[in-house]
This record gives sequence, structure tokens and C-alpha cells, in this order.
Amino acid sequence: MKQRLLSLVLTTSCAMLSWFVAPYALAEELRVLVHNSFSLPKPLLAQFEAQAGVKLSVIKGGDSGELLNKLILTRAQPIADVVFGIDNAQVAKAQAANVIEAYASAPPVRAGAPAVGNGVVAVDYSFVALNYDKAAFAKSGLPLPKTLEELTQPQYRDLLLVQNPATSSPGHVFLLATIAGLGETAAFDWWARMRANGVKVAKGWSEAYYTEFSKNGGTRPLVVSYATSPAAEVFYSKEKITESPTGVLFLKGGVFRQVEGVALIKGGGQHEAAARFIEFMRSPAVQEALQTSMWMFPAEPGTARAEVMRHAVEPASFDSLSSETIAEKDADWVSRWTKMVLK
Amino acid sequence: MLQKPLFQRLAVGLLPAGFLLVMLAAPVFRLLFEGGASALAGMVGALWQDDYLRWRIVWTFVQAVLTCVVALALGLPVAWVLARYEFSGRTLVLRLLMLPFVVPTLVAALGVLALWGPRGLISGWLGFHLQDTPWLLLYGNLFFNLCVVVRAGVDALAQVSASRVAAARTLGATPWRAFWRVEWPAIAPWLASALSLVFLYCFSGFGLALILGGQRFATVEVEIYTLVAHELKLAEAGALALCMMMLTGGVALLYALVEKRLAAPSRADVIALRRPATLRQGLAVAGAMLVLIVFCAAPLLAIVARAALAGPTAWAVLLEEETRLALGNTLRFSMTALALATVLGLTHALAARHSVWLRASAFLPFVVSPVTVAFGLLLLYPQWTASLPLLVAAYALLAYPFVAKSIGSALDSLPTHLEQAARTLGATPWRSFWRVTLPMIAPALRRGMAFAAATSLGEFAVTLFLSRPEWMTLTTLIYQRLGRPGAANLDGALVLACLLMALALAAFLLIETTQAKAIDNRTQRKINRKKAYHA
Repeated sequence: MKQRLLSLVLTTSCAMLSWFVAPYALAEELRVLVHNSFSLPKPLLAQFEAQAGVKLSVIKGGDSGELLNKLILTRAQPIADVVFGIDNAQVAKAQAANVIEAYASAPPVRAGAPAVGNGVVAVDYSFVALNYDKAAFAKSGLPLPKTLEELTQPQYRDLLLVQNPATSSPGHVFLLATIAGLGETAAFDWWARMRANGVKVAKGWSEAYYTEFSKNGGTRPLVVSYATSPAAEVFYSKEKITESPTGVLFLKGGVFRQVEGVALIKGGGQHEAAARFIEFMRSPAVQEALQTSMWMFPAEPGTARAEVMRHAVEPASFDSLSSETIAEKDADWVSRWTKMVLK
Repeated sequence: MLQKPLFQRLAVGLLPAGFLLVMLAAPVFRLLFEGGASALAGMVGALWQDDYLRWRIVWTFVQAVLTCVVALALGLPVAWVLARYEFSGRTLVLRLLMLPFVVPTLVAALGVLALWGPRGLISGWLGFHLQDTPWLLLYGNLFFNLCVVVRAGVDALAQVSASRVAAARTLGATPWRAFWRVEWPAIAPWLASALSLVFLYCFSGFGLALILGGQRFATVEVEIYTLVAHELKLAEAGALALCMMMLTGGVALLYALVEKRLAAPSRADVIALRRPATLRQGLAVAGAMLVLIVFCAAPLLAIVARAALAGPTAWAVLLEEETRLALGNTLRFSMTALALATVLGLTHALAARHSVWLRASAFLPFVVSPVTVAFGLLLLYPQWTASLPLLVAAYALLAYPFVAKSIGSALDSLPTHLEQAARTLGATPWRSFWRVTLPMIAPALRRGMAFAAATSLGEFAVTLFLSRPEWMTLTTLIYQRLGRPGAANLDGALVLACLLMALALAAFLLIETTQAKAIDNRTQRKINRKKAYHA
């Protein structure tokens, strides 16, 4: 038995060694760096490979903040040719670090269409905003808050759940939303009063939504999520439902539009295939598919909306910050937030 | 003692040492270098001035020590009962013990909260819940770590010399005194080894405890992660990581020194298992089971129950193509990582017999902050970062200390005269290792392999590395589901967690079952022989 075990171990390790030294088949390969939420139907990607005559090699690099930092660290020897997932909050940082190569053939941005800027071609967008548990509010009889200010009042004590801006992308964007909507001083003042009023901080979106949100067994009926989340709730419901169990609240200072785009990586190869990939991400097929695979709104105007997306409303207005301001002040804001809310 | 030249004795350690150098030391130094070495020195001093960070470091230390104390207090009696009494299902309990290791952190949190959370079952009975209290954090730490202490304790108690205990009892020692004077000295090194693992896990861990304890109880590793992955402040992150490395490295070195001093060859007469005869003994077994159910099994049962209640539509997830891909990958990666971890662990343990530094370095993969390793690898080998060998090597890196520690303890308590006898009778060193040493350390090897398999099946820090969609494992699939809203996603994740647990249990049974029988047979033969001799 022991001999069998050891020979098994030896054979497997030999097999693995051969795996190590096996030459890497480098056919025409387009390396695409994406964030962890990237997801498109397989047939679509296969279709692109056939048309462009390249093999797609998709590399997942963490959430969007982590992704950009990995890109910056490896700029001397880029790990991919094209990147998807740089958003309007980070584009100035990417620009400053000189990791993006402007895509020349992008057509001028149409009026009303969202843009990322700085050579990044917009693919999709969504809004980070407060979601609420309809059943919990109906049960307590509490009216839905109409302003962020109301949330600091005693009747809304211990109801709000946010993600840590230092470890979570929606949490980070929500902090930016408060600064954009209320102004820096008033925003941090609001956070200080929210701390006193029992705001809860979770590590990331999944932890917040699945362990603390009242819809899933927690105690908090208000959570930072996306404008598209109610549509996903309907799409992934157990029984067929006609109304989402959650709703979205667009409060002044509580909405931020996140526009994600695709860009060429400076120093990456395969320029022709990379350009085709950028066009592919803007093609009607991808623009339609991404709505229910990544739960984002399509950036290309005139794209047909998926049926379930009627449960996802867009806000009439929202505030934004310039990417340059974010790049300059972001780290300070996050550490100031940490001191104010967590310490 | 058959003395060989030092370099020859250490030659076997070249493989693990080289592996540690390439996979761990070089990347970390690369990251520190990127951050600027000169900035580093100033940072270390400045860090301690920062009230918040100092509080974090102290808190991290306190919760790790507290967990060790409680894990020992609860784990040792349980281990003693499992090592001394025979009852039906005993071996299964030993295998089941390791399941907490496999469950993805977020799923474990769901299980724990289903019991102790605001709407939990137990909270409902008690009328209060534990969410956001340090108690839940401690509970989460015990859920993961109690099994480490119990398994090590069982193995340690199994090698206590029967005749010495019998002699002590004959000379009038109470069972308690016999335990304290005979059994405790024999098992102390094993427990020290297990507790060091627990300490390092709690110290650097940033999983379950963080979800359960809330962000205020975050450990320093979270701070390092934020600095590296989100703010790219490599100098500060490097300084902080270095501080933690010195602290934990000190613990590891201290442990290695203690272990080397305590190491004593045991005698090959094992204490036979007996059936609980008196009411007190029966109660002891029941009590041990109760501890294990409350701390280890209950959250897992909660997960299984929630998945079972989800209904047939949720279970249809098992038939999806994605699940098949993930299952295949999980098997493939774990098996490769396990093979690599076994070779590394075995060679490391053999070489570590002669060097305190090598002994301490087996802890390195737990001591060094995972995010610094991940980003260091990215800087050092950019062209390899999205390659499978690197991913598998990362799995093996995190898994092999279990094999090394487990075998290390076994080698320390190995009776030396048997190997010497084999050598005197003309066996080559290789042959005496193959026929004498290996059979005797086999149980420890298997225990280490089971833990290594559990770590490779589970997640730990591998999520920090670059990945590819086609490398989807069951754990990443579960996280993908929990990354989207909707009841069907939650149910699917719970069902997949059940599949993962079933797979892990099958792996544990496969790795350890034959050994358990072999030991039992051997023990039985020995007992029979003794009986015949006395008659």
C-alpha cells in the first residue's frame, strides 16, 4: 500500500514536472485583462475568435481597483494586450501611470452617451445607489428616506449598510457619490453623523448582500448596491415574480454613475486584434448580452434593452466628480473615511 | 548516531529551500525593493506611532493568543477522548473534523449566521444574537482551528508509551497524575506545533473572522491588502508586512527551538483503545461529541439544511456545464498541488531534523502576508503570472507546511534504534528509510496530506492570484454566484458548497481509511501477542 502510495505520488509529480516544462503553445493569442465580474456568453467569445482569427486568453485580475494596480505594477512587461474594466473613477490614475494607449479610431462620443475619457472606450455603465428591502419597510411602516440627511435621524438608526471603500468597489464609489453630491466637508460630516447613527460596514458587496442585508437573513434593510440589482433579483428569483423584492433609492449624494470601458495597454502586442476586440465589445450582440451577464446598462445608444431590465430604473439626475480630482484626492478621502467611520 | 557530513544531511532540503526562495522570498523582497528600501526603515518606526495601526496589531495578537488558549482548553480533552476510547463512528468523526477547512469563508459565515446571527436558529431560542461581537469572531476562529488541535492531539496521544503509563499507574499515580507526568511531556511538542499553526492562522487570517466580527475587528492583513491592492503604497505595505513577519517569524523560531528541545523518541507500544465502560466514560465521549457538534459541525449542518430546503430547482445546478468544469478543475488542481505538497513537505521535514532554521521556515508560507507574495510574484515573473504551474505552485505553497509539520513531529518521536538496527543489518540509508522510517511516519504523512488536500480544495489566499475563466474551481464558482443578487444564486452557492464538502470527505476517506485499518490491525496483533505472552 505504501509503495503504491509513493509511486502514485512520484508519478503525479513527474506528470506535473512535464507540465511545468511543457512549451507554451503561443498561437496568435490576444491577452485580455478583465475584472472579476467580466462575463459574456461563450458562443459570443468563440464567434469573435473565429472572426478575428486569434485565440482569446482572458485573465481575471481582481476587482477594478486591484486590476488597475496590477496593470501599473507590470507596466515594464505588460501581462496583457487589452484591458476591460477601467472606469471613469480611475481613468486619470491610469493616465498618470501611463499604462493606457489611446485608441485612435474611436468615433466621437454621441450626445447623451456616457464616456470614460482618456483613450478608454466606454462599453457599459451602471449606477451605484441605495437598495432597500421592500418587505422590511412594509413591515416596519417606516417611510422610505427622501434625503441622505434623514438617515442620520433616530428613526433610521441601525438601518444602513455600506461596504468598506478600502476593500470594495461599490463601497468606494458610494463614498465618491456622497462627496460629489454633498461636497467634501458636508459629506464627511454626514459620515460622522452616520457613524453615530449606527452605519454598518461590511468588507465587500457579497458579504454585505448575503450576510447583513435583511432580505437575506441580516438586520439591515438599506444596502449600497447597483441600480440593476432589482432586475437581477427578478431574473434569478426562485419562482416567477413580476415585481422585484428590492427597490432602488436615488437620493441626492447617494448616486454615482460608473462607466466602464475597454482600452489598449501600452506596450502590449496584437494591436490589430486588440482593436477588433474593442469594436467587438461595442457590437450590438455584446451590448445586448452584457445586460444580463454583467448586469450593466449598454453604453452604445440605441441598443435594445433586455426585457428584465425594465425592473432597473435609471435616475433622472446624478452628480459626478472629475477623474482628475478623484486621482488627486482619492487616497486621502479613503483614509479620512477610515479614521472617521472605523477607528 | 550514524553521522553523515552536514551538507549531505541537508541536501534533501534543497528542494523545499529552493521552492521557498523562488515562490516566497524572492517575490517579497522584490515588492519591498519596489517600495523603496530606504523609505522602509523610517516607516517601521512611524507605524508604531500610529494609534490605529498599533491598536490593530495588538488586537490581532490578542485574538490569536485567545484562540490558542481556548482551542487548547477545548481541543485537548476532546482529543484525549478520541484517542483513548473506541466507539462507533470514531474514525468517521476524525475525517469529518477537517471539513471546516474546505468550506469557502463566505459560505461558512452563512452557516454560522444561520445559527447565531440576528435571525439565527439558536439566537431565536436564546433571544439575543452574537453578530458584531468579538464572541462570534472567536467562534469563527475555533470553527476553523479546533480541528487542527484535536487531530494533532489524537496523533500525539496515540504514540504515548503504554508501558510507561501502566508503570505510573502501577506505582500508584492517579490517572490525572499519570497524564500530567507521562502523557503530557510526550504530547507537548505535537501540541506546540499545532498551536503555532493556529496562532499563525488567526494572526494573518482575514477570512471568516472578518465577516463575522465586523470591520472594526479587522486584522493587520486587511490593512496590508488595502495598501497594496488598492492604494499601491508599497513602502508602507512592505513595512507593515515586515513588522508582522518579524513578530510571527519570532514565534515560529521560538517554537522551532522549543520543539527541538522537547523532541524525544517515543517507544513503539501504543495504548489500546477501549470501549467506554462506566457512566463517566460514556459522558466523557458524549461531552467531546457535543463540543465538536457545537463548534465544528453545527454551521456545516446549517449549510446542508439550507441547501436541502432550497428545493429541486436549486439542485439542478449540479447538472450545469459550469459545475462540471469546476469539479474537474478542482480535482485536477488539488491532486497536482497535493502531490507537490507531499514531496515538498516530506523533504522539508527530513532536512529540518538537523536545522532549527529550516524547522522554523516551514511556517514561512503562513508568516508572510499572502497579498505581498501575490503582488511580488506579479512583479517578479510577469510572463508567468497567468500560467497554471504558478497557480498550482501557489496552492502547494499554502498546503505543504501541513505535511512538513505533521511529519516533523512524527520524526521527532520516532524510535531511533529501529533505523539503527536496519543500518547495522546492512540496509542502505534509502532502504532503511523506505522499509523502516516511512512505514512509521505513514500515519503522520497521511494526516498532513489530508490537511493539505483540504487547503487545496478550499480557497485561502489563492483568490489573490491572477486567474482565468477556464480555471474555474468549485470555490470560485461559489464566489461567482454570491457576487450576484437573487435567491437562485444563493441557493446554487449552498448546493455547490455541499458538493464541495462531499468531495472533500471522499478525499479524506481515500487518503486515510486504509491507514486507520492498518493501524488497528497492527494494534490488535500487538495486543494479541501481549495477551499470549502474559498467558
